Amino acid sequence: MLEIDKIDVSYGDVQALWQISLKVEDKEIVALIGSNGAGKSTVLKSVSGLIKPRKGTINYDGIRLEKQPAQKIVEIGICMVPEGRRLFPDMSVLENLELGAYLGRSRRAKDETLNWVYEIFPILKERTGQPARTLSGGEQQMLAIARALMAHPKLLLLDEISLGLSPVLVETIYGVIKRISDSRRITILAVEQNVSVILELANRAYIIENGRIVGQGDAKALLESGEVKHAYLGITPASGEAE
Amino acid sequence: MIPTDAVWKKLSVAGGIAALLIFMPMVMRAHYLVNVLSLLFLYITIAQAWNILGGYTGQLNVGQAAFFGIGALATRLTWVIGFPFYVAFPAGGIAALFLAGVIGLPSLRLRGHYFAIGTFALAIIARIVIGNIFPGVAIAPGEYVANYRLLPRYYLALSLAFTVTLVTYLVVNSKLGLGMMTTRDDEEAAEAIGVNTFKLKVVAFALSSFFTGLGGGFFAFYYISYYYYVPFDLLWCFEPLLITFVGGVATIAGPILGSILFVALKETFALTFGEISVLIFGVVFILVVLFLPGGLISLAGKFRRLLHKPVGQESSQDEK
Amino acid sequence: MDVAQFIIYGLINGALYGLVALGLALAFGIMGYLNVAHGDLIMLAAYGSFWLFKIWNVDPFLSIPLMMVVMFTAGALLYVAVFSHLSKFIILDRLKNSILVTFGLIMVFTNMATVLWTADERCTTPFYSGMVIDIGGLRLPYIGLATIALAIVITLALHLFLSKTYFGKAIRATAQDWEAAKLMGIDVARTYLFSFAFAVATAGIAGAVISMHVVSPSIGMDWTNYGLILVILAGVGNINAILPAGLLLGVVEAISVYLAGVPYTGVAGLVMFVLVLMLRPQGLFRGRAAL
Repeated sequence: MLEIDKIDVSYGDVQALWQISLKVEDKEIVALIGSNGAGKSTVLKSVSGLIKPRKGTINYDGIRLEKQPAQKIVEIGICMVPEGRRLFPDMSVLENLELGAYLGRSRRAKDETLNWVYEIFPILKERTGQPARTLSGGEQQMLAIARALMAHPKLLLLDEISLGLSPVLVETIYGVIKRISDSRRITILAVEQNVSVILELANRAYIIENGRIVGQGDAKALLESGEVKHAYLGITPASGEAE
Repeated sequence: MIPTDAVWKKLSVAGGIAALLIFMPMVMRAHYLVNVLSLLFLYITIAQAWNILGGYTGQLNVGQAAFFGIGALATRLTWVIGFPFYVAFPAGGIAALFLAGVIGLPSLRLRGHYFAIGTFALAIIARIVIGNIFPGVAIAPGEYVANYRLLPRYYLALSLAFTVTLVTYLVVNSKLGLGMMTTRDDEEAAEAIGVNTFKLKVVAFALSSFFTGLGGGFFAFYYISYYYYVPFDLLWCFEPLLITFVGGVATIAGPILGSILFVALKETFALTFGEISVLIFGVVFILVVLFLPGGLISLAGKFRRLLHKPVGQESSQDEK
Repeated sequence: MDVAQFIIYGLINGALYGLVALGLALAFGIMGYLNVAHGDLIMLAAYGSFWLFKIWNVDPFLSIPLMMVVMFTAGALLYVAVFSHLSKFIILDRLKNSILVTFGLIMVFTNMATVLWTADERCTTPFYSGMVIDIGGLRLPYIGLATIALAIVITLALHLFLSKTYFGKAIRATAQDWEAAKLMGIDVARTYLFSFAFAVATAGIAGAVISMHVVSPSIGMDWTNYGLILVILAGVGNINAILPAGLLLGVVEAISVYLAGVPYTGVAGLVMFVLVLMLRPQGLFRGRAAL
C-alpha cells in the first residue's frame, strides 16, 4: 500500500504542493485528476524519487520513500511512466526495453518478460530494432509503458499517458492497462487530464487543484458528480449541455 | 525629483571614492598601488564588456582573448609604426570590432553551447596563429621607454573603466537593454513578440568586443615589452568570465566587485605563496565556481534574506 | 619525401589525436562536462610513463595498463572532489562551469608539474624509437604503427562495451536522458563516476604514447585543442567517429604541410574546425551516434 502523508513539495523557492495526502491500496486503480499545472505530475515525481518533499512522508509497504534515491525506489517495486514518455531516443525499442529490466532480478527474467511485453504490444515486436525516436506517438507511449513493466513493478505510476494520442488509442491503451492490472495484480496510480477515460477505469480518484487535494471518492460517483462534470467536462449542472 | 537621503549617501560615497581615485596618485608616491589599480581598472573594463554580451544578452562568449589580443596587436603595431596615441588607441577597439564583424555575424547563428565552443575555438585559433606569425617579443622603441609615464596610463585605465561602466549602465537601462535581457531570458518568446534578437545580439557583440579591444589597446600601452602571444593567452578568456560570475553576472556592480576580489587575491597569493601561487589560485578559482554560482551579489542577497526571515514568496522576489 | 610518406605520418598523428580526444569526447558526450584540462591530465600521465621508464626501465607501451589504473583512480578522486558538484547545474551552466573549473585545474596541474619536475622537456626513448619497417621506400615507424593499432583496438573495445554490455547501455541511456535513466533503477551518480574515471583513464593511454614524443608542463593545452577539434568534427556524443575524424584530420594536416610547409601545420585543423562548426555543427559523421 502506498501512503502519502501531508507532503509539501517545492521547486526551488516555488512551492507546488501543500499538505498532500493520499492512499493507494494494493491492486487498486487510483486516479489523480486536476487541471494543468495543478501539481499532479509533482505528486508522481515525489513518489518516484525524482524530487524530494520538504515536509511529510511517503510510505510504501512500511518503507519510507521520501529519503530514498530514485533508483532505490525502482528496486522497491515502483515504476513510473513519465510525462512525455522520456524514452531513450537514439536507442532501439529492444534496448529501451532492456534498460527497463536493468535491475538484477528483472534482468535475469528479461527474456521471459520481453515475450510477455511483445504479446501485449505486438507492434513493439515489429519495431524492435528501430530507434525509439522514429516511432509514432502511440507506439512511443506503448514502449514507455512496456519499458516500465519490464521491471515487474508492484506499483505502476502513469503520468498523463493520454497526452497527444487519439481517443481510440487512449481507449486501447487503457484497456491494456486494466487487463494487466487485473491479471498481474499491479497497483496503479494514474495522473490524467482526460477525466472521463480514467474515471471509467479507476476504483477511486483524488482531485487536485493548485497543489492541494480538493476532493476524493469513488471514481464512478465522481464521474457523475456535478462539480467534476462542471470543472473538467464543461457540462453545466442545469442544462447538461457541453459549454 | 528631490534626491532622498539614501541617494545622497550613495552619491557622496561614490564621490569620495572617485575623488580618492583621481587625486591620490597625484599627491602620493604610491607606485605599487597605482600599478595594481591600473590593472584593476583593466579587469573592470573587460569584465563589464563581457557582461554586456554574456550577462545581459545571455550569449556566452568564451573567446574574449581573441578580441583583447587583437586590440593589443593593433594598438601596439600602429603605435610603433609612428601613429600618435590618439590614433593607436582607438585602433585597438576598431580592430576588435572588425574581428567581431567577421566572426560575430556567422557565429551568432550558433545556438546554446555551440556559441560558447565556437568563440572558445576562435580564441584558441587566434592564440596559435599569433604564435606562428609573431613568435617574438613586442619591444617598444627606446624613446618610448624613456618617456614612459605611469600616471597618464593610470588615468587612461580609470577613464576606460568608468566609460564602459557608464555605457553599460545606460544600455541596460534603455530599451536596448530591455531587449537584450528579454533575448537572454527566452529568445523564442522574444522573437514572438517582435524583438529583433539577432540585431540585439550583434549590437551587444559589437559593444562588448569594442571595449575589450580598447582594453587590449591599454595593455599594449601599459606594458613596455611582452611576448606577442600574451594578450591572446586563454587566461583572458576565463578571467573576465570568472570575475563577472563571482561578482554577480548581469549586474553593474558585479564586475567591479569581482575585479577587486580577483586582483586582491592574485596579489596576496603572489606575495605569500610565490612558486605555487598559481596552484592556490586555481584551487580557489574552482571552489568559487562550484560553491558560489550566483556570485558575491547573491551572497549579499542571502545575507539580507537571513536577516529578514523569509516567508515563502518574499525570498523568490529577492532572487534576480 | 613523396605524398604517400606524408600521408603515413598523417595517419599516425591522426591515430594519436584520436587517442587524445576519446576521453574528452566521453566526458562531454555523457555528462556535458567540457574538460579543457584533459590535455593536462595527459601531460601528467605522460610524466608517469616517463618516470616509470627513467627509474625502472618500463617500456612506455607496457606502462599503459598501470597508467590506466592510476589515471582511473585519479579520475575517480577528481570526480568526487570536483566534478560531482557540477551535476547540480543545468545543461548550459554545466558547460560553462565545467570549462571554468577545468581551467582552474589547468592552473593547478601545470603549476604542480613545473614545481615538481621543472619546465625541462622530457622524452622516453625505448630501444625501438627510431626503427622503421621499410616497404618499397615508404618508412613505417614501429611506434607509429603501434599507435595506430592501439587506437583501433581501444576504439573497437569502447564501441563493443557501449553497445553490447548492459553497463555500456546504461551509460548511453544516462547520456541521453539521465532522469529517465534513474527511473530504470540506474544509479546515475555512480554511472557518472565510472564514466569520468574511465575518460581520465584513456589519458593514461595517450600519455604513454606522447611520452615518446615530448613531455613538459606546457604541452597540455595543445592536446586539448586537438581533442576539441575532433569532438566537433565527429559530432558531440559520437564516440565511434572520433578515430575516423582523427585520421581525417591527420591526413588533411599532412597534405597541407606537404603543400604549404611546416609553419602551417596547425592551420588545416583549425580551418576544418571552423568550417564544420559554422556549416555543419552536428559533425561530419552523423548517422548512428554511439551515445
